[in-house]
Amino acid sequence: MTSAGHETELLARVVSGDRDAFDDVMRAHEDRVFSVCLRILDDRERALDATQDTFLTVFRKASQFQGRSAVGTWIYRIAVNTCYDQIRRAKRRPIESLPDHVDPSDPSAEEAIESAALRPEIEIALAAVPAEFRNAVILSDLEGLSLPEVAEILEVPIGTVKSRVFRGRRMLARQLGNQNTS
Amino acid sequence: MHEHDPDLIAALADGSLDDETEARALIESCDRCLSEYQDQVEVLALLVATPTARMNDLERAALHRDIWTELRRSPSRTGITPWWVRWSYVAAGLFVTVGLVSVLNGQFLSIGGDSAGEAFSEIGSGLDDTGAGGEQAPLTAADADEGAESATTTAAAEEAALPYPFADLADEARANRDLAEDRSSQFSTEAGEVEECLELSGLADQVLVEELDLDRRYLVMMPEGETGDLTVTFVALDDCEIVYVDG
Repeated sequence: MTSAGHETELLARVVSGDRDAFDDVMRAHEDRVFSVCLRILDDRERALDATQDTFLTVFRKASQFQGRSAVGTWIYRIAVNTCYDQIRRAKRRPIESLPDHVDPSDPSAEEAIESAALRPEIEIALAAVPAEFRNAVILSDLEGLSLPEVAEILEVPIGTVKSRVFRGRRMLARQLGNQNTS
Repeated sequence: MHEHDPDLIAALADGSLDDETEARALIESCDRCLSEYQDQVEVLALLVATPTARMNDLERAALHRDIWTELRRSPSRTGITPWWVRWSYVAAGLFVTVGLVSVLNGQFLSIGGDSAGEAFSEIGSGLDDTGAGGEQAPLTAADADEGAESATTTAAAEEAALPYPFADLADEARANRDLAEDRSSQFSTEAGEVEECLELSGLADQVLVEELDLDRRYLVMMPEGETGDLTVTFVALDDCEIVYVDG
């Protein structure tokens, strides 16, 4: 069975209440979901919240998966939409810097946080790029997803993705150039 | 003269073109295109070199714990009924059915060949008497057998009436013990409250392997330093009572 076929089969088992199948789906995609959420939200705690919300939605809406895209693409679309919801909610509440369950004195936690961080100049430059272009660049260039996958996830035509990726990179280059000259 | 083509330049930069001839010709004949191409390559190199963000072990364990806790708390919204909920429905249904059959049989035995209408009238008055604290008819042998069956069913119903599937949670606690061992409490409590609770419940020498924030807050405890099929004890934090012991 192909990987895509296996994942579709797993999701069908999730629909029938198979917890192990859901656990397998979660473990297969949790790192990338977290990574996408962290890049979009730029906040570790919120990225973890969004990852949790994403998989709860996956579990609850597994029966709505139509099989028109890969399971992973469907999950990342849920993740991106969950992040958009988080951003809307965040405008209404203050942000804390670290999750309660991460002990900053724990060396492994610190190491993980540092390794996940973008270089500061890239982070600052990315933050200055409008969200629709930034998210296309994040999915395409940081997460390495194909243009058709990004189009599925962002729910826009491939031509729009190409344009957004091109213009997003160009804005990023300009931002980085401005940082170097300032 | 070549026309400026952003898509072609972007595709050349990320190496997704099968044939680069046209794109190469474009950037050689157009200064603006060349500048755009160099920007795209430079940015792409920076982004690709960025390591993938990953959760650490603590975050991963917390994520799994929180997701499973949430799914146990509100399983009905999934549209999927977990096995333990289905069995609790079956146990409750069985309990009601057996109880009803036992009442009906008792009444039919005592009234012999009376008509169904009279039988139900008798049942009604019997129930009224019971509700009013009146005397009940002596139990027949058949009643006694059915009583025993009812008692068994009652025990099953009580088991099913536990607010959460603790046996199942105990299995998960055993499976996740390596991740959770030696953790300290994450519950927001007054200083020493958890320790005091464990002292009161006689579990101070055990390891806190998990915490569940369900209808109440539970501490999941296991003996220290042992392996194999360990005893798992669930302690309610609000009254320090042991609510369930598995194994």
